[in-house]
Amino acid sequence: MTDATPAWKRFRARLTDYVSYAQQWEKKIGSFLSFRPDQVPDSAVAGPLEGLPFGVKDNIAVKGFPLTCGSKMLADLVSPYDATIVERLKAAGAQVIGKTNLDEFGMGSSTENSALGKTNNPWDTARVAGGSSGGSAAAVAAGLVPFALGTDTGGSVRQPASFCGVYGFKPTYGVMSRYGLTAYASSLETPGIFAKDLDLLETVFDIAKGKDDNDQTSLDAEMMTPRPVKTIAILEDLADLDPAVKSVYDQTCASLQKLGFELVAVKLSTLEYAVPAYYTIATAEASSNLARFNGIRYGLRPVYAENHEHLVRQSRSAGFGNEVKTRIMVGTYVLRSGFQDQYYTKAQKVRTLIRNDLQKVFDRADLLLTPTFPTPAFVHGDRSMNEFQQKLADKFTVTANLTGIPALSFPAGLVTGLPVGMQFSAPAFCEGRLFEAARRFAETFAVPDCPGASTEWSH
Amino acid sequence: MYKTVVGIEIHIHLNTQTKVFCSCRAEFGDEPNTNVCPVCLGYPGVLPRLNIEALTQAYTVAQALGCELSPRTLFDRKNYFYPDMPKNYQITQFHDPVGRNGKIDFQGVDGTIHTVRIHDVHLEEDAGKMIHAGDMSLCDYNRAGYSLLEIVTEPDLSDGDDVEAFLLSFQRLVRYLGVSDGNMDEGSMKCDHNVTIHKAGESLGTKVEIKNLNSPKFIKKAIEFETKRQAAVLDAGNRLVQETRLWNENRDVTESMRTKETSNDYRYFPEPDLPPFVPDAAFLQTVKSRQVELPLVRLQRLTTEHGLSREQAEFVSESRALAEFFETAAKASGNGTAIANWMMGDVQKELNHFGLILEASPLTPARLAQLQTLLDSGRIHIKIAKQLLDAIFEENADPETIMISKGLEAITTEAQLAPIVDEVFTRHAAVVEAIRSGDVRQKGFLVGQIMQATNGRAAPALVNQLLSSKL
Repeated sequence: MTDATPAWKRFRARLTDYVSYAQQWEKKIGSFLSFRPDQVPDSAVAGPLEGLPFGVKDNIAVKGFPLTCGSKMLADLVSPYDATIVERLKAAGAQVIGKTNLDEFGMGSSTENSALGKTNNPWDTARVAGGSSGGSAAAVAAGLVPFALGTDTGGSVRQPASFCGVYGFKPTYGVMSRYGLTAYASSLETPGIFAKDLDLLETVFDIAKGKDDNDQTSLDAEMMTPRPVKTIAILEDLADLDPAVKSVYDQTCASLQKLGFELVAVKLSTLEYAVPAYYTIATAEASSNLARFNGIRYGLRPVYAENHEHLVRQSRSAGFGNEVKTRIMVGTYVLRSGFQDQYYTKAQKVRTLIRNDLQKVFDRADLLLTPTFPTPAFVHGDRSMNEFQQKLADKFTVTANLTGIPALSFPAGLVTGLPVGMQFSAPAFCEGRLFEAARRFAETFAVPDCPGASTEWSH
Repeated sequence: MYKTVVGIEIHIHLNTQTKVFCSCRAEFGDEPNTNVCPVCLGYPGVLPRLNIEALTQAYTVAQALGCELSPRTLFDRKNYFYPDMPKNYQITQFHDPVGRNGKIDFQGVDGTIHTVRIHDVHLEEDAGKMIHAGDMSLCDYNRAGYSLLEIVTEPDLSDGDDVEAFLLSFQRLVRYLGVSDGNMDEGSMKCDHNVTIHKAGESLGTKVEIKNLNSPKFIKKAIEFETKRQAAVLDAGNRLVQETRLWNENRDVTESMRTKETSNDYRYFPEPDLPPFVPDAAFLQTVKSRQVELPLVRLQRLTTEHGLSREQAEFVSESRALAEFFETAAKASGNGTAIANWMMGDVQKELNHFGLILEASPLTPARLAQLQTLLDSGRIHIKIAKQLLDAIFEENADPETIMISKGLEAITTEAQLAPIVDEVFTRHAAVVEAIRSGDVRQKGFLVGQIMQATNGRAAPALVNQLLSSKL
C-alpha cells in the first residue's frame, strides 16, 4: 500500500503480465474455481481500496460469479446477488477477480473435499493448503491477490492461513455481516480475511464490518479501545503437538517475552469438550442449512424423476460428497426428537461452560496464545490422521467459534521450509488487541514470501 | 353415547404489505413466481429479515385473545422436505410463541355464550403452491414467505355447529382487528381440526387430525362423519389410531393420510439466523393501541343500547365498518332499530344495484341519520324516504338538500293543502256531488287525485281530515 500509483492502473496496464503470472501459479496450486481478471473494468471506483483485486471463497455470493460452494450440487449456479461484505468492499473500490476453492460447503480442513478442483500449498505443492478456505489462503500466499475473503466455522480461515504463511482473521460473531455466506452452521460461522499485510487486513475489516439490515444477528459493535496489551495467557498443558509446531510455539513465547509481554499460564479445563460440542452443533445446523439443496429451484437436477422424493434423493445422492453426507446424517441424528437433550442441548450447555472458562482467562490476561493447529501443512492424502483425528485437531480454533470471540492466526515461524502459524484470541469486540500484538510480533518475525512468489501484485 | 371434543388449529394470512422475512410484495393472485427474491427462494447465503409489522399483528391477535404475551419470543426451525417449501424447513415458533394461555367467548348457534381456551398463538411463514399439470408438477413461490399466524385452541368445542359458530366469530375478530381478511375461500384462513370422542365421565380419547377442511360448509359434515366413524371403531371393540386424515369433499368421507408412526420428526431447534425478539414499551403500546372492542362485546352492547333484535345486532356488527356506520347513524338519529332496518333492507338493495360497498358509497352515516330524522319528524313519509335514499346514491347529496330542491317535503298544513283540495273539488264537482249524495265509495278517487296533484307529498292524515270537513 506504499506505492503512490493506484493499484488498478498498474494492474490494468499490465494485465497480460498479471494473467500470465497468475496462470503460471494456478497450474501449480489451483487456488481459484473461477478466475476473471479480464473482466475487471478499465477504471476503478474511487475509495480506500481503489482498484485492489481480491479473491472470494466460493461459498460467498458475488453477483454474476458462480457460487458453487465446491459442490457438484451447485456447479452451475450463478449468484443473483452480492454478499453484504462484498458489496461494501466493491463500494470502497476493490474488485472481485475470482472465486476460490474450498472444501465442499466449508466442511473439511484440507480443501481436499472440494468436488470441483484440487488446491496445493504454494510452499510445497505436494501438501495441502489447509481448509476449508484453502483456495483463498493459497492465492494470497502466492501473491495472486493482496487479500481474500474466507469463512470460518471452526477454523476454516485460521488453519489454512497457518498452513500457507499468511494472516487469517476471524472477527467477533456479528461484527461482519453473514448475509451472502453459504453458512453450513449459522451460529458458528463468520466471514474472515486473509492478507500478508496486517495494515491492509485491518483496512478491509474496517470497511466490511458493521450492522447490516439483511443480517439481524449483525451489530454495530462499539469496538473496545485498544489498550496496550500487557499480559498474554498461555496454556499450561499443551499435548500432542507436532515437533515443528512445538518449537515455533516455544520460540513465539520467548519472542513475546522479549518484547515485554507478560506470559500467564492458564488452564482451559473445558478444551477437551470443545470439539465434540462443536461438531454436534455444527452438524445439527448443517443438516438443516443444507436441506434447501434439492435440485428444484436451482442446483443439480436429475433428467427424470418419478416423484418428489425420487427427485430429491437423486439430486442429493449425486450432488453431495461423502463428508457432506456424513455431517448431514450426524446432524439429523443429534436433532431427533427425544434425543436432543442428550446431544444438541448438552452441546449448547458445554458452549456456555467454555465461554465461562474463557472469561476467567480474559480476567487474567489481555490475549490468549495457542498454536493455530497441531501440525504444519500435511501432504495430500495423508492418512497419518484419519478423519476423526483431523477433527480433534480443530480444538484450538473451534473455541473461538463456539464462544463468538475474535481470533487471528499469524505467521510465526518456518520449519524445514514450511510456515507455521500461531493464534491470538481476544475477548469479544477486542479485535484491536489482536492486531496490536501481531504487529509487535512482526518486529521479530517478518511475514515470509513463499519461493517464487512476487510481491508485485499483492499490494 | 359418545361426546365429541374438537380443538382447532387456525392459520390466517396476516395483512402485511410484504412477506414475513423479505421485502417481496405479499400479493394474492399475481403471475407465478413474480413476487420472489433470493431470500424467499432459499438461495445459498440468504438470511431472514423479520417483518416487524407481522410481529405487531401477531402480538395484537394474541392480546385480543387474552393470551399471556411473551416477553422474549424466539423462532424455531421445523425441518421437513416439501417441494414448495424453499428451504425445506419452516421458520416457525415452537418453544417461545408470541402468546399462550388465552381465552375467548363466542356465541353458539342457540345464542348462548361459550368460552374457548387458546393454547398458543405463533408466527410463521407460509409455503408456496404446487400446480399439477399432466405428468408435470410446477411450483409457484409467490406465496412462499407470506406471514402466517397460527392459533391453536384447546379441545373446547363440542360439535360441528359449535365449530362453525366459533370460526365465524373468530373470522369476525380478525377482521375487526384488521389483521386478516379471514377469507376461507381464498385460502387466507385455513383450519385443521383435532377430533376425539369419549364417553361421559371418561378421559379424552385418541386424537385424530382432519386436514383439508377449507370451506366452512364441509366442517360440520366432516366432524359428524368423523364422530360416527370413531364410534363405529370403538363399538366394534377396536382401538383408534392416532393419525392425520384428509377430508375428501367428493365422497364426503375422511381418509387416512398418515399415522403417528409414519409422521415426520420435525427436529425443531432454535433458528440461529434470527435473534430473540424482546418487545419494548413502545412496541407493546402499539399493540395496545390496536386493540378494538371485541365483536361479541360490541354486539351485546349494541343490542342493549339500541334495543336491537339478535338478527339486527348480528347484521350491524358483522364488520367493524358496519358497526361504526350503524353506531354513528343510530346516535345521530336516535332511532337504532330503524337504522338497522334500513341497513339490512333498502340500503343493501341500493348497494347491490350500484355494485358498491357501504364504506365507498355516497351513503354516509350522517345522511342515513338525516333521512330517518326527516321521516321521524314527519317532514317526509316512507315512500318519499325510499325515493330519497335512491337519490342519495344517484346524486351523492344530502337527503334534505334533495328533498328541498325537488320539493318533496310533505304537505302538512291545512293552509298549504286546502287550496289543492279546493281545486280538485272544482275539477271533479260531479264526483263531489255524488259523494255528498251518499256514494262514499268515490272518496278514494278524490284521495288519489289529491295525492297526484301533490306528487304524493300530502300527509295522508291531513288529506283525510280535510276531505271529511269539506265534504
